[in-house]
Amino acid sequence: MTTLFEQSVHPAGQQSLPSAGQLPSVEYGLIRAHVLASLVTLVLSVLFGILVATKFTFPEFLGDHGWLTWGRLRYNHTQGIFFGWLGNAFLAFSYYAVPRLANRPVLNRKLGWFLFCIWNFAVVLPGWVLVAAGFSQPLEWAEFPLLVDAFVVLAFILMVFEFVLPFLKARLSDLYVSAWYIIGGIVFTMLAYPVGNFVPELVPGARGAAFSGLWIHDAVGLFVTPFALAIAYYVIPATTRRAIFSHFLSMVGFWLLFFIYPLNGTHHYVYSAIPMAAQKGAIVASAYLGMDVILVVTNLLLSLRGSSATVAKDVPLRFVWFGVVSYLLVSLQGSVQALMPVNRFIHFTDWVIGHSHFAMIGFASFVALGGIAHLWQRIPRTRYNERAMNWSFWLLASGLTLMIADLTIAGLVEAQVWQSSAPWIDSVRAVRSYWLVRTFSGLPILAGFVLFWISLITGATVSGKSTSVLSRGASENVPELDVDTSIASGHSFARFSYVHALIFGAGVGFFALSFLVLAILPGKELANEIKQAAPVTMPALTASEQRGRVIYGREGCAYCHTQQIRSLAADVRRFGAPTEAWETKYDYPQLWGTRRIGPDLSREFNVHPHDWQLTHLYSPRLVVRDSIMPPYPWLFSGSANQPTQEGLDLLAYLQFLGRARQLSGFDQQTPASAFDSATADMAMASEPSARATPPIVPIAMTGGYNDSAPVFHPASDSNDLEEEVSRGATVFAANCASCHGVSGRGDGRASVSLLPPPANLTAARFSDQRLSSVLWNGVAGSSMPPWRQLPTEDLRALVAYIDSLQVPTAAPTAQEATHLNQGKSLFTGNCASCHGDRGTGDGPAAGALAPSPTNFQLKRPTEARAREVLENGVPGTAMPPWKSQLSADQRQALVEFVRSLYGTPQENASR
Amino acid sequence: MINLIVIAISTVMFALVLVWWRWSAFRASIEAPKYFMLRQEHRFDDGPRAPSSTYTP
Repeated sequence: MTTLFEQSVHPAGQQSLPSAGQLPSVEYGLIRAHVLASLVTLVLSVLFGILVATKFTFPEFLGDHGWLTWGRLRYNHTQGIFFGWLGNAFLAFSYYAVPRLANRPVLNRKLGWFLFCIWNFAVVLPGWVLVAAGFSQPLEWAEFPLLVDAFVVLAFILMVFEFVLPFLKARLSDLYVSAWYIIGGIVFTMLAYPVGNFVPELVPGARGAAFSGLWIHDAVGLFVTPFALAIAYYVIPATTRRAIFSHFLSMVGFWLLFFIYPLNGTHHYVYSAIPMAAQKGAIVASAYLGMDVILVVTNLLLSLRGSSATVAKDVPLRFVWFGVVSYLLVSLQGSVQALMPVNRFIHFTDWVIGHSHFAMIGFASFVALGGIAHLWQRIPRTRYNERAMNWSFWLLASGLTLMIADLTIAGLVEAQVWQSSAPWIDSVRAVRSYWLVRTFSGLPILAGFVLFWISLITGATVSGKSTSVLSRGASENVPELDVDTSIASGHSFARFSYVHALIFGAGVGFFALSFLVLAILPGKELANEIKQAAPVTMPALTASEQRGRVIYGREGCAYCHTQQIRSLAADVRRFGAPTEAWETKYDYPQLWGTRRIGPDLSREFNVHPHDWQLTHLYSPRLVVRDSIMPPYPWLFSGSANQPTQEGLDLLAYLQFLGRARQLSGFDQQTPASAFDSATADMAMASEPSARATPPIVPIAMTGGYNDSAPVFHPASDSNDLEEEVSRGATVFAANCASCHGVSGRGDGRASVSLLPPPANLTAARFSDQRLSSVLWNGVAGSSMPPWRQLPTEDLRALVAYIDSLQVPTAAPTAQEATHLNQGKSLFTGNCASCHGDRGTGDGPAAGALAPSPTNFQLKRPTEARAREVLENGVPGTAMPPWKSQLSADQRQALVEFVRSLYGTPQENASR
Repeated sequence: MINLIVIAISTVMFALVLVWWRWSAFRASIEAPKYFMLRQEHRFDDGPRAPSSTYTP
C-alpha cells in the first residue's frame, strides 16, 4: 500500500531523462510533503507571533517559563516564518517549477527527501527546540544557533545540486526569469548566509554590525524576494495563459535586484557608528532598489492587462496579484524609510514592524500562498476548496490591512513621544491600545492561514464546482499559442547563454563587492578608529559578565533594548553621547539591536542600584507599574532577593554596559581630530544638535546627583492647590505607587526587595526644596530615580500631593524644648560627623555616603518615625541602630532635637 | 566608491536598453523564454501525461 507522499517510479525503477516529447518526472510526493510542512510550521509560527503580541498587553501571560518567554518566542516566530513556512513553500514550488522550466527532473528524489529531512528535522524543529531551551544567536534573521546554521548551509548546497544542476545540464538558452530567480535565490543565499551568521561571531561590535546589517537585508532580498518573484512570474502567465509583458524587463529587474539588494543592508544602521560612506551608499542603493521594484511590478501588472476578470475569479492569481501590489508598496515604503529625514524619526518604532509584516505577509506570504494554491490544482488528485480559499484570502487581507495600519500609526505615536522630553514609559503607555489591536489583527490572519490549509485538505473531497477550477481555466482562457511548441534546443541562441553566464558572474562580483564596500572597508576604517579612540585601559568582560551577555542574548533583550545611541539630538538628549565603535569592541556578536520597546541600555552602568535591577528583572511591574517587560523568575529562587547565579551574571552584564566609557573619562577628553571629523560628518544641516554635548544626566536615566534643582512650590490658592493635589495623585499612582505604595507609606509591592526601602512619605514633613531636589535628581544610593523628564506641572503636582500626605505635627512644646540642649549635645557627639553640626546632612563623612545623611532642615520626621530610626537604624544606609548605645531618654532627646531643626535658619532663629 | 557602483550599474543597464532598442535579434532572443515557459505549461497541463509524471497515491 502506498502512502500519501510516495512517488511513482519509472518502470526501470530509476528516474530517466526525458526524451523529446516526453515529460520529465515531477516529484509530487515531495511537493505535498513540503506544502504540508510549510502550513504546519506557518500555523505554529503565527501562533508564536500571536503569543508574542499578546505579551505586549499581558506581559505576565505564560511568563513563568523560560521557554515561553517573549524573547524566545519572538526568535521562533521569525525563524519559523523564514525557514518553516517560506522555506518549505519555496521548496515545494521549486519541485513543481524546475522540471517545467528546465525540461528535466530535479537531480534526485532521494536527495530531495534527504533535503526535506535536513530542512525540517535538522533546521526548523531543532532550531525551535534549541531556541526555546535557551540556545540561540541574538542576531536579526539569524536567531537559530550556529549548529543549526551549519545544516542550513548544507541544505543550500543540496539545493544547488537538486535544483540548479538540472538547469545547467539542460543548457537552455531559453531560461525563463523564474528559473533565474530560483538559481539566484539559492546561490546567493548560500553565499550570504554564512557571512551573516558566522562572521558576526568572529568580528565584534560595530564591525560585526556592518555584516549583520547586510544579512538582515539579504535574508529578505536574496532568499524571500527572489523565490516570491519566481512564483509571481510563473503563476501569472500560467494562469492567464499569456506570456508576460516583457522578458527583457523581467531580466533587467532580476539583475538590478541582485546587483543592488546586497548594497542595502547598512540602512538598518543609519546615524550609527558605522562609517558614513557606507550608510550613504546603502541609502542610495535603497532608492535605486525602489526604482527596480517599480520596473518589476510594472512588468508584472502589465502582464495582467486585460485579465482583471481572471484575477477576480482565480483565487491563486488573486493572492499573487495582492502580493505584487504589496511588493510595490512595501518596497517604496522601504526606500523612503531609508532616507535620513524619515529614518531618524521612525527607526526603532513599530512602523518598522508594520513594514516587515507587510513584506513577509503582504508580499512574500500572499505570493507563496498563491503559488501553493496554483500548483495544488495541477498536481494529480489534489484540488483546493474554492470557497474556503476565498474566505482565506479575505481574512488575510483584512487582518493584514488592520495590522499594518495599526503598527504604522503606533510607530508614528512612539516617534512623536521619543522626540519629546517625556519619560520613556510614556511611549509605552501611548501605544498600548495599538498593541492590543495588533494582537486582535493577528486572529483573522491566523484564521486565514488555517482556512487556507483546510481548503487544501477539503478540496480533494469536494466535487463539482470547487474542483473544476483548472479545467475551467484551461477551457475558457487558453488562447492558441502562435509560437513553436517544440522544445528549444538552445543552439540558435547559444551565444546568449554565454552572455547569461557572464552576467551571472558579474552578479556574483557585485555580491562580493557589497561585502567589500559595506562591510570589509568600513570594518577596516572602524578598526583604525577604535585603535585611535578607545581608552588605553578598557577591561574585557569578566567571566560572569560574559555569561550574563549570553543570557541577555538568549532572552531576546536586544529585541527591545538597543545598545546604540544614534547621532541624533533626540537620542543624545535621552540617552547620552552617541555610541562610539570602540564601546562595543568586545561584543561577539554585536547586540546593537534594531528595535526599541524599552530604553537604550548602552550606558546602564551605575544607573540603577543592584536591588532595583534584580527586582526589575524578577518582576518589572514591581518597580515600573506600566512596564511591559517580561518577567524572568527563572533567574531567581523564588524572590527578587534570591537571584540565581544566572541572575547575578545578567546583573553583572547590565552593570558592564557603559562602564568603560564612564570610568575612562572619555567624555571629558578632547576627541581626536580624525575622529571629530567623522562625527561631524554624521550631522546634517537639519540636525544642528546632532553633535550637541549630552546633558550630564540623560533625561531617561538616573545618576548625576546634585543640588541644582528648581524648587516647585504648590499653588497658594486653595482651589488651585486642590486641583494640583488631584493631578499629583494621578501622577503618583502611575509612577510612584509601585515602590512607595498607594498611600505613600513606602509599602509598595517592590518595597520588600529594595534597600534602602522606599521612603514612607507620611512619616515626615518634607520641604518643597527637598521634594523638588529628590524629584529632580533622584536619591543616590537608593532606587529613587530622577523624574525631571516629567512636565513641570506634574512635578509641582507631585510636591503638592506628597505635602498632602503628611500628618500635621506641632512644633516641639515648651516642655519638649527642655530636652533640646541635651539632644544638641548628644547630636554633636554622635551624629554630627555624618549629619553635620547643624543637621544639614553635610558632616565630614557625608561625602562618602550614599544615600546622603538626612538634612533635617529640609525634612522633619514624625516623632514615631524618628524614634524608630534611632532604635533600628535604616537598612541599606549608613544609619546604624542606636538602641544599644543610647538610653530611651537620650533617644527621645535626640528625636526632639532633630525635629526642632526643620526650617530655614532664619525660621529657626525666630522660633 | 558607492558612486562608482551606481554609475556602473546605471551604465550597464543603459547599455542593455540600448542593445535591446538597436538590435532586433537580441530583442527576439531575450523574449524567447517567456514563450518557452508557456509551451512547457501547455505540455504539462494540457498535453497527455507521460508515465513518468504520473502519481500513485
